[in-house]
Amino acid sequence: MSEKPVVKSALALRKDSPAAALLEMCSVRVGQTLFGIPIAHILEIVGNTRPQNVPLAPEFVGGLVHYRGDVLTTVSLRQLLGMPVQNSDCKSGKEGHHDILVLESSGGCFGLLVDSVGEVLTVSAADHEPNPSTLDDRRSALFAGAYKLQQGLLIMLDPERLDPMHLGAAA
Amino acid sequence: MDELTREFLIESQEGLDRMERCLTDLEERPQDTDLLGEIFRSVHTIKGTTGFLGFKRLEKLAHAGENLLGLLRDGKLSANQAIITGLLQLMDALRGILRIIETHNHEGEGEDLHGDAALIARLHELQHPEATTITVASAAPVPAQLTHASAKPASPAIPDSDTAPAPVAAAKAAIVLPDPPKPPAEQASDTGKPKAAAASDSTLRVDVVLLNRMMNLVGELVLTRNQILQATATDPNFTMLSRRLDMVTADLRESVMRARMQPVSNVFSKFPRIIRDLSQMLHRRVRLVMEGQDTELDKSLLEAIKDPLTHAVRNSLDHGIEMPDVRLAAGKDPEGTLKLRAYQESSHVIIEVSDDGAGIGVERVRAKAIERGLITPERAALLGERELLQLIFLPGFSTAEAVTNVSGRGVGMDVVRTNVEKIGGKVEIESRPGKGTTLRLRIPLTLAIIPALIVRSLNQSFALPQGALSELVHIPADRLAAAIEWMQGTPLYRLRGQLLPLIFLDRMLGNHAARLKSSNGTSPESETLPERDHFIAVLDADGRRYGLVVDGLADPEEIVVKPLSAILKAIGLYSGATVLGSGDLALILDPGSIATRAGVALGGAKESTEVLREDQKEDTMGSRYLLVEAGERRAAVPLGDVLRIERIPFSRVEYIGYRPVLNFEGQLLPIEDSAGVFASAQGNPDAQLIVVVCREGNRQVGIAVSHVLDVAAGNELFEAGSQHRASGVTLLNDHVTGIVDLGAIQPLPMANQGAIAQNSEWNQVSETLA
Repeated sequence: MSEKPVVKSALALRKDSPAAALLEMCSVRVGQTLFGIPIAHILEIVGNTRPQNVPLAPEFVGGLVHYRGDVLTTVSLRQLLGMPVQNSDCKSGKEGHHDILVLESSGGCFGLLVDSVGEVLTVSAADHEPNPSTLDDRRSALFAGAYKLQQGLLIMLDPERLDPMHLGAAA
Repeated sequence: MDELTREFLIESQEGLDRMERCLTDLEERPQDTDLLGEIFRSVHTIKGTTGFLGFKRLEKLAHAGENLLGLLRDGKLSANQAIITGLLQLMDALRGILRIIETHNHEGEGEDLHGDAALIARLHELQHPEATTITVASAAPVPAQLTHASAKPASPAIPDSDTAPAPVAAAKAAIVLPDPPKPPAEQASDTGKPKAAAASDSTLRVDVVLLNRMMNLVGELVLTRNQILQATATDPNFTMLSRRLDMVTADLRESVMRARMQPVSNVFSKFPRIIRDLSQMLHRRVRLVMEGQDTELDKSLLEAIKDPLTHAVRNSLDHGIEMPDVRLAAGKDPEGTLKLRAYQESSHVIIEVSDDGAGIGVERVRAKAIERGLITPERAALLGERELLQLIFLPGFSTAEAVTNVSGRGVGMDVVRTNVEKIGGKVEIESRPGKGTTLRLRIPLTLAIIPALIVRSLNQSFALPQGALSELVHIPADRLAAAIEWMQGTPLYRLRGQLLPLIFLDRMLGNHAARLKSSNGTSPESETLPERDHFIAVLDADGRRYGLVVDGLADPEEIVVKPLSAILKAIGLYSGATVLGSGDLALILDPGSIATRAGVALGGAKESTEVLREDQKEDTMGSRYLLVEAGERRAAVPLGDVLRIERIPFSRVEYIGYRPVLNFEGQLLPIEDSAGVFASAQGNPDAQLIVVVCREGNRQVGIAVSHVLDVAAGNELFEAGSQHRASGVTLLNDHVTGIVDLGAIQPLPMANQGAIAQNSEWNQVSETLA
């Protein structure tokens, strides 16, 4: 994917918020990296669930979970980033258990599998920087820039781009 | 569009639907004043409300119709063909305008005013007695006045001065959703009206979206209940509570499902008109008989069968029922009969479309199929009558038929089948040349909850819809190598002598998973299987038969179907997902697409000839027998009487006096051992006994056998040179075999052994059967 649309949507995100406004981001961790997702897109956080594997599904699909009467398709952030599937290093200590963020995108709801969910961080729109041009294609398609925090970078994730339909079309 | 207009549209549409029903009835019973009253009210309601809403065009038309109907109702005119045609035209015109209002929010002023004027003139013309036949008012109007006065005081006695609201209320009363259709008007005059009036008080309209939501929530409740039942199974404190929860949930589920049900008459009701129009167009004479119109079906399913059913009815009229002179020449009533019949059969609703027409000429089907290149002549020669009939469901077939047909209206039977199968139904066809054709649509009662068998593979659960499941075969680990045969990497199983292609679920699903962790080192082509029990689910999907090999079986469960996201649907093998009682998720397998996907590798043609050969056999045989070996002899047991085959240790056999009996699920089962199977096993305490449990009259008996050999078709034997059928023997696999006379087995010396109604969910045929 070319860089152009990426920059555009990063701008759009910035435009959505009033100038110099503060944004609330839910921080999630995958491996050593800290990611942020705008809390407005998060319906619910479901801790310690074990998704049901779907044979023959695309690799980024983390499985199915039961969520409020519906069967939710989940996307594994680890798989998306090409990281090894984790085993027992998550906090619950049980194999195959994950924290799931239930996200809402234009295509409906889906789950995002992460290693752990952290606190809600307040970031300033002024601290946002777009994706660097040196970022590889796969990642620049997924990330929507980053926020410069004191303790490091918070990589911004856009639920629309993580939507399984979107990922399926791109794959 | 404002609320009032929308309400008006719905009511008017429903009013017109009723009018259409009544008009076609009126043709048969022109004197029926109730029908006339009903029609009058529909038109009058429309007229009244349109005046109020300012739809001038509608009002003018309705007014013209009302005048004519008023005369009819008062007995000043008698309905005849011309009048009914005129009224049907009026109805179509009203419908047309309503459609315009619905889309454009105005009634299309200036459009087709000429047509309106012509229609009004025509209706006006019909009012004049010289244009029609003059009738003297008979006794009929009198009871009509009475019923009107008693049951419906607000009913328009003087139409023109009446205001709209009263008829609106009257119209509402009859429209309500699940109300069974009015019985044909024979007894309607005294029962129909009060019922309708009462219905308005006891029913209300509910948004379908809300009903769907309720259904969803109930499904959720069912799941939660299942989980609670499993969790509390061991806790005595909760037993009563969870049992009540169980009952209430079941009741609630049924009620909500009932709320979504509508009588099939909602679909049937449009056929009188279709048939009237079509038969006039095609110059056929057709009588329509409808049965079981109050059979109920889920609303969404009802919608889904509307088109297939219309196709089927058209086909019957077009290709089935002959011209009157042809019928006369064939010695039939010149008027053909088309029968629509609906009835419930366990968890299915069956809808039959049958005609007494020419039937389907199988030879012509064969010739056409070969001509169209749908089948090779060699294969066609092998096909029996039943298989040939199936050919008409092939895409591309019907068009060929239509070319030869005078009317040129080809309606794809493949569309009928596809639509019905889409909702989990089945289509069957029966035809007897010269006698007629019956098309049978088998529709599940509901879509949302289906019975399924839970199977295990790849250490997870999958749901297999019971509809496609025909039997289960268990292969113990030690017999695995012998039972599954390989044809150059393609696994096959001999099921009662027929080769059944096998699909290993784990291999099909686990292709990439296996590559990832090749620890067990089995590549998909490998002919070696892990040493454990295997189960074959014999499936019948879209006429294709195959065995799906799974690692284990769990209980059958009623599952609530949850839709999958588009990305997972795209895989093609799953039709949905469900939450099991254990709380685990299970993917619902789609037997049809599994067959399609595996068919590429297995060679579909071969597969289908196997099926056909087996079907053919079923067709030609008189009856089927279970072939058993008892001692040195072979014997046959009528398969219809066999309930199940049990393998039990000898130690369980007990004796009453000298007679061996078995304590079988708390009941005594006498065991017949005429062949001395017991004697041969004497002195071997570990020996196993095979007992064929049979139904005889209303008791059950067991027959001790050494082996169960086969299921085969028996042919009747005739004594040489005579027409006397030999009793007690049959020709099985070209051997004369004695039939076990179940009636001759002596009853146990006791008062009354109640019949144990045993119908296992499916026939668990053990491996020994084959």
